[in-house]
Amino acid sequence: MNLPWTLKYRPKTLSEVIGNEDAKKKILQWIKKWDEKTPKKRALLLYGPPGTGKTVTVEALANDLDMELVQSNASDYRTADAVQRFAGRSSRYGTLFGKKRLILFDEIDGITGSADQGGLREITKIVKETGSPIILIANDAYNPRFSTLRKSCELIEFKKPTRTQITRLLAKICNLEGIRAEPDALKLIAERANGDVRSAINDLQALAQGKDRLTFEDVAWLSSRDRKEVIFNILRRIFYARSIGGALRAVNEADVDLDMLLEWIYENLPYHVKDPKELAAAMEMLALADVYRGRVATTQNWSLMRYFIDFMSAGIATSWSRKSHGWTPFRFPSRIMSMSRSKAERDMLKTMGLRIGRKCHISADRAARDVIPFLRVIFQNNPKMGAGLAKWFGLDEDMIAFLSRKK
Amino acid sequence: MWTEKYRPRSLDEIVNQEEIVNRLKSFVKARNVPHCIFAGPPGTGKTTAALCLAHDLYGPGYHEYIMELNASDERGINVVRETVKTFARTRSIGEVPFKILILDEADNMTSDAQQALRRTMERYTETARFILIANYSGRIIEPIQSRCAPFRFTYLPEEQIIKRIRYIAEREGLTISEDGIKAIIEIGGGDLRRTINVLQTAASTGKPIDEETVYSVVGRANPADVREMMLTALNGEFVKAREKLRELLLRYGLAGSDILGQIHSEVFRLNIPERWKVKIIEMIGEADYRLQQGSSEEIQLSALLAKFVEAGAEIKKGRLD
Repeated sequence: MNLPWTLKYRPKTLSEVIGNEDAKKKILQWIKKWDEKTPKKRALLLYGPPGTGKTVTVEALANDLDMELVQSNASDYRTADAVQRFAGRSSRYGTLFGKKRLILFDEIDGITGSADQGGLREITKIVKETGSPIILIANDAYNPRFSTLRKSCELIEFKKPTRTQITRLLAKICNLEGIRAEPDALKLIAERANGDVRSAINDLQALAQGKDRLTFEDVAWLSSRDRKEVIFNILRRIFYARSIGGALRAVNEADVDLDMLLEWIYENLPYHVKDPKELAAAMEMLALADVYRGRVATTQNWSLMRYFIDFMSAGIATSWSRKSHGWTPFRFPSRIMSMSRSKAERDMLKTMGLRIGRKCHISADRAARDVIPFLRVIFQNNPKMGAGLAKWFGLDEDMIAFLSRKK
Repeated sequence: MWTEKYRPRSLDEIVNQEEIVNRLKSFVKARNVPHCIFAGPPGTGKTTAALCLAHDLYGPGYHEYIMELNASDERGINVVRETVKTFARTRSIGEVPFKILILDEADNMTSDAQQALRRTMERYTETARFILIANYSGRIIEPIQSRCAPFRFTYLPEEQIIKRIRYIAEREGLTISEDGIKAIIEIGGGDLRRTINVLQTAASTGKPIDEETVYSVVGRANPADVREMMLTALNGEFVKAREKLRELLLRYGLAGSDILGQIHSEVFRLNIPERWKVKIIEMIGEADYRLQQGSSEEIQLSALLAKFVEAGAEIKKGRLD
């Protein structure tokens, strides 16, 4: 079966929905109230960024409590009439087999003024009179259009699940699909998804379906919009150019991200240019290209870009003999990989530096340079002194683990 | 942290920089403080003096009347436009009619931000006084300098540092030998913050502090080895040296300019031809300057490592001129 994984692995029960424990608990409490009497607020308004699990939570809930879920989303017409036809009746009468009914209006941000004339007003009316629980879902609950509706609803926020939670879910899916995935690869997918579980699962499927292994490099490619063959071809045309014109054309004709191209050249240069003197000359050209890139950024004078391009093409080509030592494969920029691998840790270091800096009246940079190295030794020598300091600085578990780790 | 535990709270507790302290005390007495620049090397008491001044002026609740900003953490002009301005223009309710803004590492501010600061200082003089703290007052623009009373902090004399070490050692119940003290002073290099950090780290071993303990903890505190990275490059292994560099930048969060500083002090100790040392110094200086123009730290430093590779190859060929 070729189902999208977002469907195939859609949670069947509430406990499978990742994150948002508070929200799930509140929803459950609210729905239980209906068993006693009709609560004051007859509708919930769930809101939060896309992919945080709003819809699946409602579906899983209906499934868990064996309720009949009646739902309408943006693909349905939602004029006043349509809303009345869809929900007016359901909200008043019970179901055929005595199951309780749950009414879901999904994506209410999508109820538009013209095509869905009167839709919101009708929903507001139904919410006030309904005999069945109603759940509404929106990305932005504070849109002024919802101001009247909002008064009759209990608001529950959905937050982005953490990177760790998403990574764990991805690992579970890989397991079920029989894919061996590098932990770093999954972490990177989760990082890129930025709390959107749906897009994380989609990315995973696009990268890993039909394979038995998923490496960090496979994922790193996601961040580069350029195709491998295109890049390899440009690199070859620069490194082994017959004339500086050829090297220049290679860059000018290509429609690739130039910052990324510089990374590619930087990564691969030492594997092709082996003679020390030539390597030093070529690296100097790359450094010059980088200087002009910096100048463009600081002065916003884009005409300086041409020098950036000249140095990284003609400059590289002319700084060495261009004799091939046999076939050398091109490698993916390891700097890009290390940067994404270490991103979480670098963010943590920065936060730690700021916390220490605030306590010691110094900058985060100075803390990284003058205090953190000593803290590492203290934490390893004397965990008790370390614990006291950790408390005083307000360090979290990750920071303590970092400081206590042997080099 | 002992640097904080033993930081003087009041001007009376500051034992050195006597002349400066006396002038600051006269400000407290007059209940008036001009805009000031505190300039001098790290760890000589600039921030401490500013905090003590505030303490003596406003009393123990002085935190409500001051704002501390570190220009290295918030380099841009927007901080001046927003945070500083908002703080400066609101009137103080206490007995002293102005608040104090302590701007640390002010020499790291862009010149745009300094220009904006100059106007703010002028406009809100009634409600706010500025203490700018810098390593080099020369990097503060002239118009600001002319609006400030300058204070020049100097390295502490050795006997003052010894006194401080002994004082802390006594309070913490440490056993410390003469050569231990000497070693700490040597490594501290006149920087009291560094000195006290070394002392606390040595004390964390739980052993009596002597020369050996001191050098061993400091050796361990040095992140990954800059020297080792240089030797790897000299040995012709560019890719490996580049990986070490990346580790320093990413894993240890060192700033490119700090790594350059360490490379600079190591170069003269390397066993390479003198001619190359000078060549490399030129590259270091150039890279240092380039970093300030917002170039990629790793690429600039890698280009430097490639020079080391070249130097290493020359030495092997025996061209020791």
